[in-house]
Amino acid sequence: MNLDWLDAFLIFGAFKVVEIMGLGLLVHLQLGLTRVANFGVVGFWGVGLYAFGVAHLKVDWPFGDPYQFLVCAAIATVAAAAAGLVVGWLISELDDDGTLVGTLGFATIVVILATTQQGLTGGALGLGGLGFPYDFGRVKTHEFTWLLITTAVVALIFVYAWRVHRTPHGRLLIAVGANEALARSLGKSATAARLRMMTVTSGAMGLLGAMHGVMVRSLEINSLDVGVTLAALAALILGGTARVFGAVVGVLLTVALFDIVIQFYLPIPDGWNTQALPVAREAVFGAAIVLMLIFRPQGLLGQMRRPALMRRLHGDW
Amino acid sequence: MVGIAGDSSVTPAVAVRGLSSGYGSVAVLHEVDFTVGHEIFAVLGANGAGKTTLLATLAGLLPAFSGSIAYHGTDVTNLAASESARLGVGYVPQEAAVFPDLSVLENFTVGGMIGTRPHEERLEEVFETFPDLRDKLHLRAGNLSGGESRMVACGRALMQDPNVLLLDEPTAGLSPLYLQLFFEKIADIHRTRGMSIVLTEQNATQALAIADRVMVLSLGVGSEPMLADAVTTDLLREGYQI
Repeated sequence: MNLDWLDAFLIFGAFKVVEIMGLGLLVHLQLGLTRVANFGVVGFWGVGLYAFGVAHLKVDWPFGDPYQFLVCAAIATVAAAAAGLVVGWLISELDDDGTLVGTLGFATIVVILATTQQGLTGGALGLGGLGFPYDFGRVKTHEFTWLLITTAVVALIFVYAWRVHRTPHGRLLIAVGANEALARSLGKSATAARLRMMTVTSGAMGLLGAMHGVMVRSLEINSLDVGVTLAALAALILGGTARVFGAVVGVLLTVALFDIVIQFYLPIPDGWNTQALPVAREAVFGAAIVLMLIFRPQGLLGQMRRPALMRRLHGDW
Repeated sequence: MVGIAGDSSVTPAVAVRGLSSGYGSVAVLHEVDFTVGHEIFAVLGANGAGKTTLLATLAGLLPAFSGSIAYHGTDVTNLAASESARLGVGYVPQEAAVFPDLSVLENFTVGGMIGTRPHEERLEEVFETFPDLRDKLHLRAGNLSGGESRMVACGRALMQDPNVLLLDEPTAGLSPLYLQLFFEKIADIHRTRGMSIVLTEQNATQALAIADRVMVLSLGVGSEPMLADAVTTDLLREGYQI
């Protein structure tokens, strides 16, 4: 495959867009449907990234790629899902403020562990040596293929989120998010529904973390940055927390705008890419959250249920 | 129709003995006693009397500090609300009684997540009781009027196929037109579906018109239950402290 026309940095920019879109879709299920204010997205993503990296680099597997990748990615997914289950259980009795602080605290613990457990993680220096689970000969081909694979995974997450809206489990999640006390009187366990959602979505966040590890081919403590959570939340709040397309539209207007359009297609001065742009990016994302919450809290796409959509969903009724 | 009042040989649908309950460590209800048979049982009282606390405790949403609650002879004291629902208790709170982000039909379907009868059959029964809702199925429940919201909340509880229906001030804030209609619906539900109904109300006149028996709650203390016909103005004045 001749990819000379494609800038390697553009591939990585597109990868970030796709990755944040996946996280945004998962946060949509947590915050938009179930009203679990997860401010520790980077924690679950980081558990996946580091579980994958440590399993890949520190265990002497009797087989090579792609099986090694598949096993390590499965470990990352299960580790993040287990973290989601435990954190979900710990915050199950807390209000919104407690949930926010609890998930943020979890992310902080992950960062501290990744920094201090140097024997496993490499600490602040990190670990190199991760690679793509295939060999086509050229790095750019590897990266582009990985972008396509990650896009496919995020597409599956989109389909899953789309389906959840149309299932009894999804309706129960919406009910739990809107009024937990009333939902408990429906005869279903609100806690179990919430834990199931936290487990599945956290596991998927972990898988995206593992896929990030492959793309950057190393474990770097700097990657466990609050910017991951901020980008996913800003995009979702801008697009609309309650809508599946909210994350898609939001990411295109935030991450894609900064990491692709501005970075590659605007004539900005040299040096801005590494210094001014990242700072401006986070400032704009933060401002977007504040402004949207004040002026249009339901986001650009608006409410979850509209008559036209409901007629389609209800079918014969 | 009073099924068991005064008949100790029949297991009551609801038996409440010495029930105390409240919020945190603050007791709102104080040793309330009553039984409910196959009837409409109205709990009357002024604001702050403890009516909502009583129904939330019966639904399993608030803990009982002491005393007991039994449904059809099964002790459910401090059982989780979801378990009480599975035993056949339907609950319609006074406020925030619908799921606003779900459509009307979805509110019904989440209500019908338990129970064994075919979903369509139960939906048809709800439409028979509330025919006006047939045209509003696709609407977001949060966009409905107050009266329509109450109908949806009631329909959602009926989808659970309850044998005991707890209605917390179902007519609060409704216009006179809806108020009359709603009391007629409650009487109709009891008559056609044969379920026991525990109803809290401030509107004593209307409640007495459809209830079989009545208990007046005053500052968390319940009166001796009595036939609705036997309630006097003086007794109500005493209960409402006016």
